[in-house]
Amino acid sequence: MMKIDKDKLIIGAAGPVLALVTSFVLTVLVLLATGLDPIEPIRLMIENAGYSDVQVLIVNQTGIYYLAALAVAIGFRMNLFNIGVEGQYRLAAMVSALVGAAVDLPGPLHILLIVIVAIATGAIWAGIAGILKTTRGVSEVVSTIMLNAITTSLVAWLILPKNFGVQPAGSNDLTTGQIAESGWFPGIDMGDGGQIYGFTFVALALGVVYWFVLNRTRFGFDLRATGESESAAQASGVDAKKMILTAMLISGGLAGLAGMPILLGESHTYSLAFPVNVGFTAITVALLGRNHPVGILFSALLFAFLDKASSNLDVSGYPKEITQIMQGIIVIAVVVSYELVRRYGTRRQQQKVGEELAAGGAIKTDKEVSA
Amino acid sequence: MGIASAALALSATACGKSSNDSGSSSTTDSKAVKAAIAYDIGGRGDQSFNDAAYAGLKKAEDDLGVKGAEAEPSQGESDADKVARLTSLARAGNNPVIGVGFSYAPAIAKVSKAFPKTTFGLIDDTSVTAPNIANLVFNEEQGSYLAGVAAAKASKTGTVGFIGGVEVPLIKKFEAGFTQGVKDTNPKAKVLTQYLTQPPNFDGFSKPDLGKAAAQGQLDKGADVIYAAAGLAGSGSIEAAATAGKWAIGVDSDQYNQAGLASYKDHILTSVTKDVSDSVYNVIKSVKDGKPQTGEIRYGLATDGVGLADSNPAYVKMTDVTAAVEKAKKDIVDGKITVKTAP
Amino acid sequence: MHALIGENGAGKSTLMKILYGMQKPDEGTIAVDGEQVTFSSPGDAIARGIGMVHQHFMLADNLTVLENVVLGGEKLYGIGAKARKKIQEISDAYGLGVRPDALLEDLGVADRQRVEILKVLYRGAKILILDEPTAVLVPQEVDALFDNLRELKSEGLTVIFISHKLGEVLKVADDITVIRRGTTVGTADPKTATTKQLAELMVGSELPSPETRESTVTDVAMLTVEGLTLLESGASGAPLTTAAPADPSVTVTVHEEAATGRKLLDDISLTIHKGEILGIAGVEGNGQTELIEALMGIASPDTGVITLDGDDISKTSVRKRREGGIGYIPEDRHRHGLLLEAPLWENRILGHVTEAPNSKRGILDPKAARKDTERIVREYDVRTPGIDVTASSLSGGNQQKLIVGREMSHNPKFLIAAHPTRGVDVGAQAQIWDAIRDARREGLAVLLISADLDELIGLSDTLRVMYRGKLVADADPATITPEQLGSAMTGAATGRLEGTEEQPEDGDAR
Repeated sequence: MMKIDKDKLIIGAAGPVLALVTSFVLTVLVLLATGLDPIEPIRLMIENAGYSDVQVLIVNQTGIYYLAALAVAIGFRMNLFNIGVEGQYRLAAMVSALVGAAVDLPGPLHILLIVIVAIATGAIWAGIAGILKTTRGVSEVVSTIMLNAITTSLVAWLILPKNFGVQPAGSNDLTTGQIAESGWFPGIDMGDGGQIYGFTFVALALGVVYWFVLNRTRFGFDLRATGESESAAQASGVDAKKMILTAMLISGGLAGLAGMPILLGESHTYSLAFPVNVGFTAITVALLGRNHPVGILFSALLFAFLDKASSNLDVSGYPKEITQIMQGIIVIAVVVSYELVRRYGTRRQQQKVGEELAAGGAIKTDKEVSA
Repeated sequence: MGIASAALALSATACGKSSNDSGSSSTTDSKAVKAAIAYDIGGRGDQSFNDAAYAGLKKAEDDLGVKGAEAEPSQGESDADKVARLTSLARAGNNPVIGVGFSYAPAIAKVSKAFPKTTFGLIDDTSVTAPNIANLVFNEEQGSYLAGVAAAKASKTGTVGFIGGVEVPLIKKFEAGFTQGVKDTNPKAKVLTQYLTQPPNFDGFSKPDLGKAAAQGQLDKGADVIYAAAGLAGSGSIEAAATAGKWAIGVDSDQYNQAGLASYKDHILTSVTKDVSDSVYNVIKSVKDGKPQTGEIRYGLATDGVGLADSNPAYVKMTDVTAAVEKAKKDIVDGKITVKTAP
Repeated sequence: MHALIGENGAGKSTLMKILYGMQKPDEGTIAVDGEQVTFSSPGDAIARGIGMVHQHFMLADNLTVLENVVLGGEKLYGIGAKARKKIQEISDAYGLGVRPDALLEDLGVADRQRVEILKVLYRGAKILILDEPTAVLVPQEVDALFDNLRELKSEGLTVIFISHKLGEVLKVADDITVIRRGTTVGTADPKTATTKQLAELMVGSELPSPETRESTVTDVAMLTVEGLTLLESGASGAPLTTAAPADPSVTVTVHEEAATGRKLLDDISLTIHKGEILGIAGVEGNGQTELIEALMGIASPDTGVITLDGDDISKTSVRKRREGGIGYIPEDRHRHGLLLEAPLWENRILGHVTEAPNSKRGILDPKAARKDTERIVREYDVRTPGIDVTASSLSGGNQQKLIVGREMSHNPKFLIAAHPTRGVDVGAQAQIWDAIRDARREGLAVLLISADLDELIGLSDTLRVMYRGKLVADADPATITPEQLGSAMTGAATGRLEGTEEQPEDGDAR
């Protein structure tokens, strides 16, 4: 039994490792093909990651990716492909920033209000896709992509000065107004390195909650069962439609939270320069992390490292786009290697069970005991 | 859980050393002026804003013997990343450090405090001020006003088009000036306005096919002069207008002389120029001369920081057009006309 | 004709996969016609003249017989007249009676099987492997199949035949190999061997019998169903109706009733008492699946009332019904009964996540669930090295025992057992029957749906025949023969089966 567990762990890790090695090798080949030294940029990145300010950037970015990837992962766990995390994240950040700037409450309440508005906005936005799927059978892939496009227009419209936006005097930027200091989430000062957003720890805590809900609650069991076999889950008493809607709402709520580290810890406003593409990167992060809270943490950390440690490669004459190439290759490599490993694992386990049974390794059953 | 403490430990271990320390030694040994620019999204090679800034740096390198450094942003970065970038450029001894684009404002506000002896150039923003910040801003609306005058005069159909790259306040300044110029010249003229994309989708500055499609639509509605303030995407508009035998008005640099547009240049009536490269050059020069620029440095019609190009001989021949433009220019400089900055 | 028999999980399927090139052996050799060969893909096996007829047919419903046969073998005889001629030739030579232009979805199970055989012969197979070919057939069809197989044999072809049904094996095989736990444990001569001997070889125990003699039927109704009707709706019905106008001459005649919102369940009424097993016979696809789904709450019927133990459950959810005491052994355990990629102990939770010992107040209790899984494994003789292996790594019979154990662990009042012993070896079969019988003695009401007529007759207290969504006939299992039942299943007989007395429609049997 122990042996099989160990196998499971190895097989579980084999997928990501295979994917990473493949993408690493291909990236090196790309560098060679363009006539660049393939090792130097990697050395530079590792050196960069040794600096405390880069480390703070990495940790902060990890928190952001982690939240967004959890949002994607909870959908994946029941075969829902929420591509709309990006849109949910942006709209939630924008709306909660607006509300946060409009009110003035004592500290914790102010923060709580902003967070709740973000969760609600993200959930409602994702819920639209959920309702479309349960009532009209619209694929959530299609509807969330479209909702992303609608988000762009909606946010652009809402942020116009004639609507809810503010154009600070002398600036060409548009913002939602500054959130009062009572709505700032305290961070941890790292001195020269900068500040670690306090919300990063909320993100990690949510990882624990994610694990608990999925593995230790009835709801989580139903959700996983639906993901593994919708027909079996339905026969077991899961209301598939309710489940789809609930999963979309949770996914959207988490996506809404992804904007919080920056909003509460750094920008205190939603402006045209608010980071984008978090939701798309998160899809890869979740895939690479196998939708497992610890796996996602590592892959979020890896992606944050790739992003931040590469930021001044161009100063040394190397294209920082190599990390984007690497991230892109990871997406494909992950999908392929997981399928390969899954097939191998299934075959291997069947073989092993057969062998152990033949060797008399079965649990003693009543019948055998009496015989 | 252990995860959280691990994250803490990770950053705690390296607390003593930050990437900024690495460059501090070089500050002392370099006598020569080192200047750096941090680009806006798109980076060098965008045929527009960033390239203009680079041209200024290049000129400073050639003429002043300045050593230049550049840094590009990555996709989806936050203010913290910009702070880190500017800090490392400043630590490396670069002075001035120039942030290209308004999105650098919050970052420069922070970093300028940490490096009081370094001059920071900030293009397109005056919301952040400090003794060591030079706010480099342009009266795009004034140049656009002149374009509006020229368009209204040159149009036969009485319908002209404006294409904005991305719907942001900066581009709205272009629209406001252009529309006002058209209406003041010919109150009955019609201005068709279209924006290619909305933020945070900045494709409207980079995809010529978008500009081409938009221009095509305006041509179909009867426009015969099209002014595109859309960066690289504007070249698509120029192509469409030229193919249809109508007029196009370029932006930022004198697009009549741009190599990539040589085959359409006969149809480029004029271009609204915005002298970003000079503004960059001037900041660098002021620092080298020991009299760093500070505060708002405004580039308007009066100083030829913005203007209308007259490289196209066909344009020069339209004397009624050029006369009207000259008059409008004089009125603006004299303060008789105030151009709006928002539509 | 060589028969291969053995318990499930004994290695029959693996052996077949190796012979057909789907899996590679670690050691050993295969010889065809005295020549040693190695197969790395089914293509190699086909080239050597080996053909496989799978248990689950691999045919496309919306194509004709001709198209199905030619599909993937276009290079052999093209796709036109030459192919048609060849098909006709094979069909005539072996008496298969296949019409090349019939649409596959119009064919019955037996016809489809013949198409599968023809498909294999078309590719030049000299050795045919048939994986449990009789599992889905009624007795008359089985006889017809055996006639076909004898025809093939007389033409010099070799047939390898896998089955659980020992009677059939003895009837048709020339030679028998018994395997157990991956090795050959014996061979038998069908002329002298008895089913008893074979069974003992297979499992080392006596041949089980499904018979339940002493009646435990009470007069307390546990489940009553009245006027249950379910209309065909949505996806599967629509294409047929739209197809009709396109080619009226063909389609309309074929789909006479499909075109008009077919009744999948037509006014079903039945009562199952405490301690009673009600068996439903019928050729697959006549509404049994829909009946189960309606009873479980997966499908919502258009009309009708379902009462369980005095409570109207017509509108309650699947989960509430399960909590209310309905146990469910699904007909397709892979689709409806298991999470194949999940470990056994999680499969033990499936369907009963809200009940003890699996959870308390919304929180799972993995420790208790694991412990109880170990109990089920012990009590129901599930052969597994542990409860952390995935369900997919168990053999079919062991998977089924796990499901039966799980469902019985919650003391159901009413059990739906759909093909409870399908694809299950003789040993497991007996255990499953025992489990059902034991529970019945304690007052369990059972709805038994099975294609195995011996099982139906042996186990049931009451028998009903289902045909085209209707309960068309009923019978006393004490007197009925499989042949009589078989003819009712094809719609040839209605009413009360046995004797001459006429019973109107589906009046109460007892």
